[in-house]
Amino acid sequence: MMKAKERVMRLLNHQAPDRMPCFAANTSVTYDQMEKVQAFWPEGHEKGETMARQALAAHTVLGLDAVRVPFCQTFEAEALGCKLKPGGSEGIPGIDFPPPYSLDDTPVFPEDFLSRGRIPELLKAVRLLKNELDNDVPIVGGIIGPFTIAGALLETVPLLKASIKAPEKIRPFLEVAEKAGTTLAKALVDAGADIIACEDMTASPMLAAPDTYRDFELEYQKRQFEAIPVPKILHICGNVDLIVEYMGQTGADILSLEPKASALLARERCGPDIILMGGVDTISTLYLMDPDTVRLECEKTIADGIQILAPGCAVAPGTPLENILAMVAVAREH
Amino acid sequence: MEMKKWLEKAAQSILDQDEESAREIAKKSLEDDMDPVEMINDGFAAGIRKMGDLFDRGEVFLPGLIIASDAMAAAVKILEEALPQDRRQEKLGIIVIGTVEGDIHDIGKGIMVTLLRVHGYEVHDLGRDVPIEEFVKKAQEVNADVIGSSAMMTTTQIGQKKLEEALKKAGLRAKVKTMVGGAVATDHWAKRIGADFFGETPADTIDKLRRILN
Repeated sequence: MMKAKERVMRLLNHQAPDRMPCFAANTSVTYDQMEKVQAFWPEGHEKGETMARQALAAHTVLGLDAVRVPFCQTFEAEALGCKLKPGGSEGIPGIDFPPPYSLDDTPVFPEDFLSRGRIPELLKAVRLLKNELDNDVPIVGGIIGPFTIAGALLETVPLLKASIKAPEKIRPFLEVAEKAGTTLAKALVDAGADIIACEDMTASPMLAAPDTYRDFELEYQKRQFEAIPVPKILHICGNVDLIVEYMGQTGADILSLEPKASALLARERCGPDIILMGGVDTISTLYLMDPDTVRLECEKTIADGIQILAPGCAVAPGTPLENILAMVAVAREH
Repeated sequence: MEMKKWLEKAAQSILDQDEESAREIAKKSLEDDMDPVEMINDGFAAGIRKMGDLFDRGEVFLPGLIIASDAMAAAVKILEEALPQDRRQEKLGIIVIGTVEGDIHDIGKGIMVTLLRVHGYEVHDLGRDVPIEEFVKKAQEVNADVIGSSAMMTTTQIGQKKLEEALKKAGLRAKVKTMVGGAVATDHWAKRIGADFFGETPADTIDKLRRILN
């Protein structure tokens, strides 16, 4: 049997792995796992040791083929001056009001970015994981896409309005946001991350117009991915059919899709080389249903061309362990 | 200018997503002695309904709908201020609405609030990141017919389920209808947690609301 890292890297090199890899592009931490590894929130969002311990649970408790940090989407935004809203012991931290900038401001990229906020703890977690996993299990480092970070700097509604009314004004924010994600990604790689997963929630066609992705975000996402020397996952939530063609042009090695998006269309629009990741809806199936339903949904998305089985989006922390294990079991049969 | 022209101009300003023009038309139509109720219902609201259709068909996206609904709200405010008290429309129902705790997104909900008001509902907007108790407290205080909750993240959506439980506990569940919305909600989710309905798009929500309150 292959080690997890070999399995994943073979697929990335377009060679056949021993079976289908299964891991998460987004957070997969749940309360059950926290109990099992005795590592809890909020420390898991704040302290490198706890974060590493929780991340390890993805491999030791769930049997996933990669571990992933962090578990929230706030590291870059906090370091850029956004106010953090703590998530307590049950939730994940978010960005609070008011945003640091308005549209006519000039955003600044701080020189000491990597030592700001909780970034040093995040990097520490990756180093600890590298030490612990000894290259057997790949480490996924998470960053946030330019459009989404710009949405934190300006607040999402003003960003979306500007994307139609004064689109050129959002460029300086995308610049700074891209630089933030890229700088963090490089530091994560230096610390030992094998893969970078970029979550760009706000760029989803459910929020932004597809033309905004094509005419603005694509350029910054391309630039970012060009600068990152390891394989890249691009995750955008919801039904991304209208932009999946552009997602395929970003330089991402892997596209992470929710079941709401069409894997068949992604294949058709992005060609044979792009690796498709996804499988099961995190709320309506993984959180709410039973292992049998999880298995059925996984089989369906595999039939549609998914190559890495995964939760479609961030796993809700109350998700039952047996449902996630059912997903992993499906991958083991393929 | 005759009424018909004013109504067309009003609707067009919404379709053009032009807030300044919408305000201007609202003011000028009053100076021209047009009926504010008609201007709202057959002018601006007609425009936003058309925008809603275009959104449902995927011809307009969320940012356009946000801008149009802001323009609509600005125009309606001007026209409503010109209405004598006795001509203000009778409310179709009282709605308490908010984004669940932990979720600071206000995106789709803002549009819904504007549209619900335009369609004649009394709306109490609790804003974003609203603790469950606040929904319950407000609903009791204003004697709400409907409680709407929005969630935009898979990690905060559980709040909608907690709200159902809190309403039961407060003995309020049988007295109110609940609607769920937001990027991550679905029909299945609504059924599963025991909410009365899922509002997928603005038009869908208004439609289901009208049926459920009748």
